[in-house]
Parts: sequence; C-alpha cells; structure tokens
Amino acid sequence: MTGGWVTRDAPTPEELAACIHCGLCLPGCPTYRLTGEETASPRGRLSAMSAVADGIAAVDETFEEMMSFCLQCRACEVACPSLVPFGRAMEGARVELAAQRPSPTRRARGRLLGRRGLGSRPAVALVTMLAAIGQRLRAPRWLPGRLGGALGGLRPLPVRAPSTLSDTWEPLAARVGTAALLAGCVMDPWFAGVHTASIAVLRRAGYRVEVPAGQTCCGALAAHDGAADEARALAATNRQAFAGYDLIVADSAGCGAHLKEYESWAPGGEGWADRVRDITEVVAEAIADGRLPTQPETGTPVAMQDPCHLRHAQRIIEPPRAIVHAAGYTPVEIDPLAMCCGAAGVYSVLRPETSAELGGRKAAQVTATSARIVASANPGCEMQLRSHLGPGYRVAHPVELFAEAIE
Amino acid sequence: MSLADDLAAFLGPGRVKTDPLERHVYARDGGLRTGPVEVIVHPRTTAEVVEIVRTARNHGSPVVARGAGTGLASGAVPTGPAVLVVLTRMDEIHEVDEASRTAWVGPGLINLELSQHIAPLGLHYAPDPSSQSICTIGGNVATNAGGPHCLADGTTVAHVLGIELVTVDGEVVMLGGAAPDPIGLDLRGVVVGSEGTVGVVTRVLVRLTEDAPATRTLLLAFGDTADAAATVSDTVAAGVIPAALEMMDRVMVGLIENWIHAGFPTDAAGVLLAELAGHPAAVEAEAEMLSNIAKANGALSARLAADADEAARWWKGRKGAFGAVAQRAPDYYLHDTVVPRSRLVDILGRVHEIAERHDLEVMNVFHAGDGNLHPLMPFDAAEPGTLERVQAAADEIVTASVEAGGTLSGEHGIGLEKRDLMSLVFSPVDLDAQARLREAFDPVGLFNPDKVLPAGSRCFDYGRPAPAQ
Ligand SMILES: Cc1cc2nc3c(=O)[nH]c(=O)nc-3n(C[C@H](O)[C@H](O)[C@H](O)COP(=O)(O)OP(=O)(O)OC[C@H]3O[C@@H](n4cnc5c(N)ncnc54)[C@H](O)[C@@H]3O)c2cc1C
Ligand code: SF4
Ligand code: SF4
Repeated sequence: MTGGWVTRDAPTPEELAACIHCGLCLPGCPTYRLTGEETASPRGRLSAMSAVADGIAAVDETFEEMMSFCLQCRACEVACPSLVPFGRAMEGARVELAAQRPSPTRRARGRLLGRRGLGSRPAVALVTMLAAIGQRLRAPRWLPGRLGGALGGLRPLPVRAPSTLSDTWEPLAARVGTAALLAGCVMDPWFAGVHTASIAVLRRAGYRVEVPAGQTCCGALAAHDGAADEARALAATNRQAFAGYDLIVADSAGCGAHLKEYESWAPGGEGWADRVRDITEVVAEAIADGRLPTQPETGTPVAMQDPCHLRHAQRIIEPPRAIVHAAGYTPVEIDPLAMCCGAAGVYSVLRPETSAELGGRKAAQVTATSARIVASANPGCEMQLRSHLGPGYRVAHPVELFAEAIE
Repeated sequence: MSLADDLAAFLGPGRVKTDPLERHVYARDGGLRTGPVEVIVHPRTTAEVVEIVRTARNHGSPVVARGAGTGLASGAVPTGPAVLVVLTRMDEIHEVDEASRTAWVGPGLINLELSQHIAPLGLHYAPDPSSQSICTIGGNVATNAGGPHCLADGTTVAHVLGIELVTVDGEVVMLGGAAPDPIGLDLRGVVVGSEGTVGVVTRVLVRLTEDAPATRTLLLAFGDTADAAATVSDTVAAGVIPAALEMMDRVMVGLIENWIHAGFPTDAAGVLLAELAGHPAAVEAEAEMLSNIAKANGALSARLAADADEAARWWKGRKGAFGAVAQRAPDYYLHDTVVPRSRLVDILGRVHEIAERHDLEVMNVFHAGDGNLHPLMPFDAAEPGTLERVQAAADEIVTASVEAGGTLSGEHGIGLEKRDLMSLVFSPVDLDAQARLREAFDPVGLFNPDKVLPAGSRCFDYGRPAPAQ
C-alpha cells in the first residue's frame, strides 16, 4: 500500500505546511497529557498526515489509531501561534479514513449519524422513547457499563418527546430582532429545558423567536466521524431552512461551532458564519446592553466547565461567566487549560476508557471546589459530568440558571 | 533476539514502538532535521532506563534521550538507527523540601508544572524558557536552558543541585546533592548542557526560588534600535540588574500584535521589555532609574504596566514571538548567538546587512540583558535554493558574533545544528579536551553520538591525528 489522499476533503498542503513543529500545542492536548507520547499529540498527528500527503506513509491501522485517539477538542488550535487549522485538517483525515479504511461498523455508524439516524425525527423519537422506558426501569443500575453510564448522564426523559419545531414566540420587550433557533437532533427531546430557557430569555431580551420547520440535525457528529456525504446533506438542508434569517442561534456549543463552519460543508456565499451565534454570546450581549436584568450576588458558587467547542472552537470564554454572574452566582474556575471532559461526541462510546479517565479528571476538578452546581453549555459535556459526578451535583446550561433567576 | 524483542521482554510488548509511521513521527524535534529512529520506548522508572541502556549496548545500538522534543538544535534527532528513550512518563514531583527550597523531580516533568505546583508556597523554578509550558526539566538540564528571567537568576546550571544519571555501564550515579558543597569533583556542570551525550538524566534536585515581594514591568519604546541597545548597556553599567530585559524590533512587534494584541507600540523601531523584582522600594527606585536612562538615550516613551494583567499580556506576547513568525512563512531559522552587550549595536547592523545580501527577511527578539541574540529568518523551504541561502546567512551571522567576541549558542544548544561551527570558537586542543571528557563518561559512543562535537574533535580519532583545523 502506498500513501496519498483520495478525497477532496483531505488535509490541504497549506494546512499541513503551517505547522512549524514548535510543540506549543502539546500542553493542552488531553491525549498527549494522558500518554506523554508524540504520536498522541497534535504535532505528531499533523506530522503523520504530512507523511501520508507526501506518500511516505499509508492510511493504515497505525494511522487510523493515531487519528481516532484524537478527541477533536481543538485545544491545540487555540495554543498554536502559527494558526494551524487543526480541527479542519482532522475532519479531513477522518473523511480519508472513511474512504480508505471502510468497514461495516463505520458505514453503520455513518448512517446512524446521518440523515436516516440523527437527521430523522421519527428515529430520534423512537430512541428517546426506549431510553425513557429504560430510565423508568432503572436501567442505569443494571445495564452494562457504557450504556448504563450514558443513560445515567441523561436528564429524566418523557416517553413522548416534546418538540419546539415550527413554533414561534413573540418578544416580551421592545423588539430588537428575530432569532431563529436550531432545534437540533437530540437537543430537542433530551434537553428540552435548555430550549425552554433559551426561548424565554431571548424573548425577554426583545427577540421574536422562531424554530424554522425543515431544519435537521446540524451534522457535526457525522462530520467528525468522516461521514462526509451525510454531513454535506444535513448542512445543505439547514442552510436552506435558515436562509432567510439574520440571527441563527444554537444553544448547544457543539452544534453552534459546526454551524459556523458550514462554509466547508455546504458552501453558499459569504456572511453565513457571522449570522450564527451561540446563545451565550447573545444573552451576555443583552445583559451588557441592559436589555436583561442582573441579580444581586448570593455568593453561591457555580463551577464553570468550558465545553471545548465553545471555548476552543468558538473562542467563547467570558459570556457564560457573565451570564452565571448576572444570575446571582459566583463563577468558580476549575481548569486553566480547559481540558476536554472526554465526552467528545461519539468518542465516549468508541473509546470508553479514555473518555472515562478524562471524565474522572474533570469531575475531580469540580469536587475540589465548594461548588455543587456546574454550568456547561454543551449537552455531551453535561451528560459526561452528570454521570461522573453522581448525585449531589446539579449540571445545567448557564442560560437555564439565568432563566430561573429572572423568572 | 532483536533489539525490540529484548526490550519488550522486560517492558512488555505494548511499550516498544517500531511501527514505521510512529518512527517517522518521532524523527524530528523542534528543529529542522529528521533522523532514523529504530525503536521508541517510554520508561517509567530509573530501573527501566538501566535495563534499556544495557540492552541497547548489548545490541550496539546508540541511545538518544528525548524530553518534549522542543529542542531547536536537532539534539533529540538520531544520526543513525538508535533507541529513542522518551522521558515524558517520568514526570513525578518526588519530594518538595520547603525549608531548604529544593525539590527532587523526574526528568519528564514539564517546567511550568513545577512552578505551578510550588506556587502556593510562594516559590517558583526560575529558569523560564519561552517553551516552559511544555519542555521538560530533563531537556532543560541537557541544554542548560535559559529564559527571560535568567538575566538576574542565571540559567539552568545555577538551579541544579543534584543529578541522578544512568551511565554507559547501566549504573545509576548521583552527582551533587543537597549538601551545599559536595565532596570530590563537581561533575554536575559536565552533565548540564551535555545534550544527552554523557548519560540519561533520571532525577534532578532543583533549587526553588522565592517569589519577589514586588515586581514592576516597564515597556520602553525607541525610534532607533541602537538607542535601545545603548540603554541595555547603560543599565547594566549603572548596576541595575533587571529580572528580565528583552528587546523586540518593529517587524517582530507587528507580528505579535497581529496574533494576540499584547499592547506593544507598533510604530517604534525597537521595544524593550524590562521586569524589575525585589523589595517594593528598591523596585520603584530601579524603575525610575531605568526610565531615566532610557530617556537619556532618546526613548520615545516609558510606561509601567498598570496591573498584573497588563504585565502578563506583555509577557505572553514576548513568549509567543517565535511561533508568531510562522504567519510570515512556513519555516524559520532561529539563531541563538551571544555577543558582549557593548557590541549589540554593531551586531544588529551586521545581521541586517547579511540577511539583505542573501535576500532574506530578518526579525529580532532577544534576551538583550545578557547579549543573547535570536535573529529569526522566516523562509519557505519548498522554494528551491532557499534553504541553502538561509544556511549560508546563518553561518555568517554566527561567524560575525564569534568575531565580535561572542559565542555560538546562548541557550538552545549545539546538537547537530551548530555542531560543525564549534571549531569557530574552540581550538583543536579545546575540542580534544571536550572529546576526552565525554569519552571518560562514554568510551563506546553510546549516548547521542555525532552530537555537539564535530567529527575529528578527538585529535587521535581512529588512531591517527585529525587533519589540522
Ligand atoms: C517556541 C520555543 C521557544 C523556546 N524558547 C527557549 C528559551 O527561551 N530558552 C531556551 O533555552 N530554549 C528555548 N527553546 C528550546 C527548547 O525548548 C529547550 O532547549 C528545552 O530545554 C528543550 O527541552 P525538551 O524537553 O523539549 O528537550 P528535547 O528537545 O526533547 O531534548 C533536547 C536535548 O536534551 C537531551 N535530553 C532530553 N532529556 C534528557 C534526559 N533526561 N537525559 C539526557 N539528555 C536529555 C536530548 O537528547 C536533546 O539533546 C525554545 C523552543 C521553542 C520551540
Ligand atoms: S503549536 Fe502549531 S505550529 Fe506549533 S507544533 Fe503545534 S500545530 Fe505545529
Ligand atoms: S483536537 Fe484535542 S485531542 Fe486532538 S490533537 Fe488537538 S488537542 Fe489533542
């Protein structure tokens, strides 16, 4: 077997040449910090990609292992003074893996993460119903490891899933604009409380809120897994569904980060990325403008967990803190490096040991503080934290904390 | 049995890496070259290092130690098939002695992690290379690493009290230790800066430094780099030794501002960043003295950081400087020469002249206080002929520095990068003495062969005199 790429999504020569091998991206990389191995570092992964690009290495088992061990947390991207777009290059490498190392499981996974899985409302509703029944049967207690853990991290689910789709709400204050909310795939039925809070707070801040019909799963998980066709199809559907809106709001950090990067999956003209905002950006701005009230400080600490796709991919750091503060709480820092909690989309299912080790570390950072509430703006992180922290801790989206405080 | 099999016999099969792609990934450090790695191991204990060294020796395979691989002199890159011993898993903080302000640490410990760990005690580890967020204490010892704060506190050698070393015979020896004046020859100095050529460092006793009660950071802008350089000389001459004194030129400042908006003046030809540390009254007085010296030398402005945040932003900008250069071109060549402070102005002029003649861009960021220059030349190695021009300019810059009474390397080491320039500073007799010293530790050339000393250093290499140099 010889090296080389076979797809148009492959890492580009420019992306790879930008790396000058300085190593400044290593400290924040969770897999490097767990192993101390260059092959598990961002610099090592880029070097392996270059080897394939140069035809000295093949997309073989070793290459696959190096790439799939990566959590796609993008901490390396923030640390890089040479501005290497690591997240994009890794998405490209995953597409290559799907093309050059196809397997029945990978194909099945691609379908699950694509149009007929996460992109299908009936499919998601069915899974939700099964999970809800499982919860009622106290399945987390007796189900084997992974599945039990995942179920244990979920919020209590209703058997009949709610949906915000196609709804419209009028503003409750002087109107400043219309916000189109991304309903998401599992966000809608599994994290309905976050949508409810986002809608309530947006209305108070003067937005008319619409949840456009015709939208679907954002496609982030498909893109991260190299299922390029599925990712492209989902992105194209959403670009159409949201075409007429100037402000598109996501209240799941992973979805927002991916939406902002649609240009590489469903190109369609300039300006799209500027129209997409994470809910924390919109709410923090409204607080700063005085469009939303600020509560007096109560001194109750809230541990701030920075989802990778909020802090590293979207570079959003201050807004969730400002929101938690305005809700009357005292934000508590837990990790200056903001290292990944190990949830990382489907990673927790594919590489449970690494995921659990990182989840344990993150939980320990929380328990080292006096906080009993954790703010996290991403559903995957929320589940991971809940299952690793166990009872006695509350994990909520910062906007939920804020919505309760101003009720 | 093969070398890999023998290593796997005691490390376990999963811990010996031989896959071609893995070897490729480990074939380069922070420098520009690559080399043939045969086997990669990540020992966890000194005992494992001992076994690795013995096994490698039995197979006649050289041993190359590696920390985080941020070295810029290709020191961790083998020149022939070798066992790469990566020490990142030996990253324990074994013991902190608060009373005597020392700590025993593993060689793989990250420099900054040590300082963060002891911060609650009001202590820090003084050597602070710009790579401190990731480089290892073992790598720092091996390269005698310096950093902005080494002006007042000295480089790594001043902070290493004891070293546990695995020798060529697979013995574990302890050099130095907690006693203020260890008996016998003090061999620590041989190991510090030896770049992995005398053995593998497996434990280090480091000196911890008390945090200064007060620090002030001063930003000075100049219309001419010569004025900045004169300020540096005058400051030291006046008896003020800042904790750090760093200089950046206009191009460098522009690139840093592009990246993180540190708040440096982009219209100045040269910027000096000074940190003063000590007792509050002394710090205030020194800050004033330094501002006055700068103004006497025509400074455009002198500004004290308003608070710790502003100072931190300035330092972050300074420490990310090397990486920011890549915005300009995919590759860069970083020099590390040292010149007497009084010759700074001349040398800066020479550096620009040399770069211009070779049609290269050059930018400067350096430890001005100790005359350690880091001219940087961004280039694109993919353009035919560029690498040769860069190498030629590099050799000229080093030669110019040496002619001005300086030396080859301030802190990044010799490795392969500057090995063949050693004869510029050392006579054949000097080189022979160094080669003998190394031979005393490693008569068979097991550890990082071909590094630091050029071939023929030993006057009687291969049993006949080396050609006259
Ligand atoms: C962005 C950037 C900024 C930098 N700034 C500075 C600076 O300000 N000052 C400075 O001095 N350097 C600087 N450097 C260079 C580099 O970081 C230092 O040389 C550092 O000490 C290397 O540490 P490391 O752990 O990466 O070692 P490596 O690069 O892995 O190895 C360096 C050398 O040490 C040897 N070695 C490593 N560990 C051991 C051991 N346990 N026993 C025996 N030998 C060993 C290796 O064989 C090699 O010869 C910088 C590098 C970069 C990329
Ligand atoms: S920080 Fe950027 S340039 Fe440096 S090694 Fe990492 S990816 Fe490459
Ligand atoms: S994305 Fe995260 S896990 Fe992957 S290389 Fe970067 S820092 Fe490491």
